[in-house]
Amino acid sequence: MAEKFHAELASLKGDVLAMGCLAQGMLHRSMEALRTQDAALIELVARDKQRIADQDHEIEQKCLRLIALHQPMAKDLRTIAASLKTITYLYRIGRYGKDIAAVVPELADAPHAGGLIGIPQMADLVEGMIADALVAFEREDLTAIRGIEEREEAVDALRYSILRECLACMTENPETIARCTNYIMIARYLERCGDHACKIAEKAHYMVTGERIEIR
Amino acid sequence: MDNSTILETRDLNLWYGQKHALIDITVRIPKKTVTALIGPSGCGKSTLLRCCNRMNDLIDSSRITGNVLFNGEDIYDGHADAYAVREKIGMVFQKPNPFPKSIYENVAYGPRIHGVREKGALDRIVEESLKGAALWDEVKDRLHEPALALSGGQQQRLCIARSLAVEPEVILMDEPCSALDPIATGKIEDLIIRLARNYTVVIVTHNMQQAARVSEYTGFMYMGELIEFDETSRIFEDPGEELTENYITGRFG
Repeated sequence: MAEKFHAELASLKGDVLAMGCLAQGMLHRSMEALRTQDAALIELVARDKQRIADQDHEIEQKCLRLIALHQPMAKDLRTIAASLKTITYLYRIGRYGKDIAAVVPELADAPHAGGLIGIPQMADLVEGMIADALVAFEREDLTAIRGIEEREEAVDALRYSILRECLACMTENPETIARCTNYIMIARYLERCGDHACKIAEKAHYMVTGERIEIR
Repeated sequence: MDNSTILETRDLNLWYGQKHALIDITVRIPKKTVTALIGPSGCGKSTLLRCCNRMNDLIDSSRITGNVLFNGEDIYDGHADAYAVREKIGMVFQKPNPFPKSIYENVAYGPRIHGVREKGALDRIVEESLKGAALWDEVKDRLHEPALALSGGQQQRLCIARSLAVEPEVILMDEPCSALDPIATGKIEDLIIRLARNYTVVIVTHNMQQAARVSEYTGFMYMGELIEFDETSRIFEDPGEELTENYITGRFG
């Protein structure tokens, strides 16, 4: 029975990872759509919304079933607990991707102000944090998340610089208010995605060491 | 020994003939808590439990070195009286073993041999003990019926009542639920938690979830050694030793 359980636990981690790829894909495509105004990408992200909700639900069910049937202990229990939390963060990341994709058509009427004022740079940073947090979870290798706190600080700093730049832009030219408000929202979504990446990193750390840490 | 420790072993070793069954066990059992001993079959957990009230004295080939201190006094000291020790450190076994007597007589037996003769006093002890073992409401109208007519779970609670009747300080339980169904097990577990308000309980169990549910401290034993002793939450969430981790996650044992 222990063998079957451990096989199921490994497959659970695989499922979490697959959901991670989906969430990363949603966020990445939404940024691509923002850059390129590609309607097909927007469509794709919108479609993934249901898929990620289904995966969230299925993995949660799997976790609960494993707990009920096998009453896991120690690292096995921590792996399930980390999985349960991680899928919530991944679901939120995917949803932010969907939210970003949803505002892309509103920005179609004119070229981007100031080369998207630092948003692509912020997205790259955040996507890197999510990828590394998932690597830490998958390989149980905490070196992947070393320095994630500093990256989170850089993301925050970028968000404020985007905010300031947008404010200046809006003051200068009130016609950009609608557009800049969307930029501010997107920067806010990306910053939240970075926070979720940190939470995933915290859970990976807990899963591996049993010790709870707080990354900012 | 500090004030909160009621039972303590120091470098305890035990041999059954040639077999070295307990190896250098040093452990402190905190007062008025539930402590669980877990480990694979043959690891020595029941042997350790039985050392705590000199039940191993009954096995001719057993030999021990080291100390077992109860409230600071060595119970293996030449002057210690095994019967007095067992009065203060009671024991409940795997299979319920009531005497083939009435419910009342089972509980009154201990106090009576300790000299309580007066009926009113015995009645009070029986009632208090049965209440303490959460059995009173189920048997108060049939105290003089045979104990063996009770269900397995009730018989086990009767055995607990019987041990309470002589006012022990510690109750040792050797897999007290392994012969019981899940409902009866649940009742005994509730009772164990309640008993820890007034008594110290040490329980040997094969059921790790049971250890996790009822105990505040857990010791993991393996091949005669105490590998790890810590707060239960720590043992089951993040044990310090790899052996413990491997055992509780079912990777061996």
